[in-house]
Amino acid sequence: MTAVVLTEGLTKFYGKRRGLQDLDLEIQPGEVFGYLGPNGAGKTTTIRLLLDVIRPTSGRAVVLGLDPRDSRARARIGYLPGELAVEGREKAGAYLEFMAAVRGGPPRRRIEELAERLEADLSARMGELSKGNKQKIGLIQAFMHEPELLILDEPTSGLDPLVQQEFLAMVREVRREGRSVLMSSHVLAEVEHVSDRVGIVRSGRLVAVEDVAALRERAVRKVELHFDAPVPREAFENLPGVRDLIVEGANLRCTIDGRPDALIKAAARFTVVHMVSAEPDLEEIFLTYYSEEEHGDEEAGHVRARA
Amino acid sequence: MSALVRKTLGDYRRALIGWTVGVCAFFLLYLSIYDSIAANPDFYEKAALAKYPGALKDLMGGLADMTSGAGYLQVIAYQLFGPMMLIMCAAVLGNRAVAGPEESGTLELVLTLPISRRRLILGRFTALALGLLGVALVSFLLIAVMAAVHDMGVPIGRIAAAHAGLYLLVLFFGTLALALGAVAGSRALTLAVTAAYAVGGYVVETLGKSVDAISWLRWISPFHYFLDGRPVYQGWPAGDYLVLLAATAVLLAVAVLAFDRRDVGV
Repeated sequence: MTAVVLTEGLTKFYGKRRGLQDLDLEIQPGEVFGYLGPNGAGKTTTIRLLLDVIRPTSGRAVVLGLDPRDSRARARIGYLPGELAVEGREKAGAYLEFMAAVRGGPPRRRIEELAERLEADLSARMGELSKGNKQKIGLIQAFMHEPELLILDEPTSGLDPLVQQEFLAMVREVRREGRSVLMSSHVLAEVEHVSDRVGIVRSGRLVAVEDVAALRERAVRKVELHFDAPVPREAFENLPGVRDLIVEGANLRCTIDGRPDALIKAAARFTVVHMVSAEPDLEEIFLTYYSEEEHGDEEAGHVRARA
Repeated sequence: MSALVRKTLGDYRRALIGWTVGVCAFFLLYLSIYDSIAANPDFYEKAALAKYPGALKDLMGGLADMTSGAGYLQVIAYQLFGPMMLIMCAAVLGNRAVAGPEESGTLELVLTLPISRRRLILGRFTALALGLLGVALVSFLLIAVMAAVHDMGVPIGRIAAAHAGLYLLVLFFGTLALALGAVAGSRALTLAVTAAYAVGGYVVETLGKSVDAISWLRWISPFHYFLDGRPVYQGWPAGDYLVLLAATAVLLAVAVLAFDRRDVGV
């Protein structure tokens, strides 16, 4: 099976500043690939290289079997920018029809279906779109021509919950139909429910590509437990996977590596009145699993400082 | 017409209508007082010469016979005011071809459509050329009608010759703005360079006639190829107009090649 996206040693320098270095990436048909990393790590650089908005310093990319410079490739791609820039007095519906016409594609009906589904207002002027409506218009233009590859840059940032549900459903439909998605985010939680694999990029380098299930297993989680009465610290000491343990009267806080099983079983002996388990965030995955790879790497300090 | 050209013309529509109305209102206002100027030529000629002494007179194109129909038409429409107003319009539209949308971020989405970089530039140029042609045609009709109504004694063929030159001059500056945007992607730089070249080119062409030190610079002024042939008086200076067309073609080629090579929006 030919890869939908294939990059070999893809590198982009902005002058002397590194945007992306030696990216080797392969996305298969029907795969949803989560592309994770903090802001400025190189996610958008990768996406813009694949779309031929910018050109690589070295290395190469093949998208849908074509050079990104070949404009035919872009007819089969749907792209949602991180921040959809809009201006002008044109009606949103007219703008979408322009995009549809250039793609030689979808009928007006398809635009209306998506607008109805997302409850988007097509009669609003582009320059006056509300934040929510802007994101909906962005989603419609990305999905409307049923592209073989969807490239979504931070698609869920700021979507209201109902639209987010609809959006995730649309991504799942795309996968069911055997089409592919490349979806960037800086929060694992935003992509883990729909992604098959995630790649983690940091300081312009791809540091890991993981199966989502495996990554969650390795993720760390901050957990807080509140009991109805003070609990003895000894009951929770030396549990497998539990560290940074703090017990203060009836409250317990700790960090869990991997499975929370041991902690849950230990806590079950007392009366738990409240439990908080924060979603593991990406930076903690960096700190726990990837910091050891960065000895001598100056940027590692920055990540730690931010955490 | 391709979807891109239609869309670009749609984006230009309000600006085009606004500039057309403004330019035509200016022509209408000044050409409608020609009757009283023709009735008192001595008075108005003295007044004009008093208002523009010395080098200012050269800058206004000499004002030699501004009370004749052809002279008055030259001063009002084809010497300074007409070209400068329309060049401003062209620079604004040319700037909106690449530099404007690149800075505002809307160009990125257009680039992700299945349109090659070359076709994008050619489409933008086509829209620019058509839009400016619209402004030129409407203002030409207005001037032709006014010249006939007020018995200015300028044959319509001469007016057409002058207006065609005006259009080519304006298209050159619009294409210059488009090309600067395609090369550098900066709105401010585009406007600054286009304005400086227009003003400098005009000054060099008009003052260069009497100041030897800068007279050689007239060859690189686009205005030279419009004003020097005196189309209102002498009809089509075909060779000069071909120079303007060729220069525009070179700018367009530069725009296509430069934009095809560079990163956008970084």
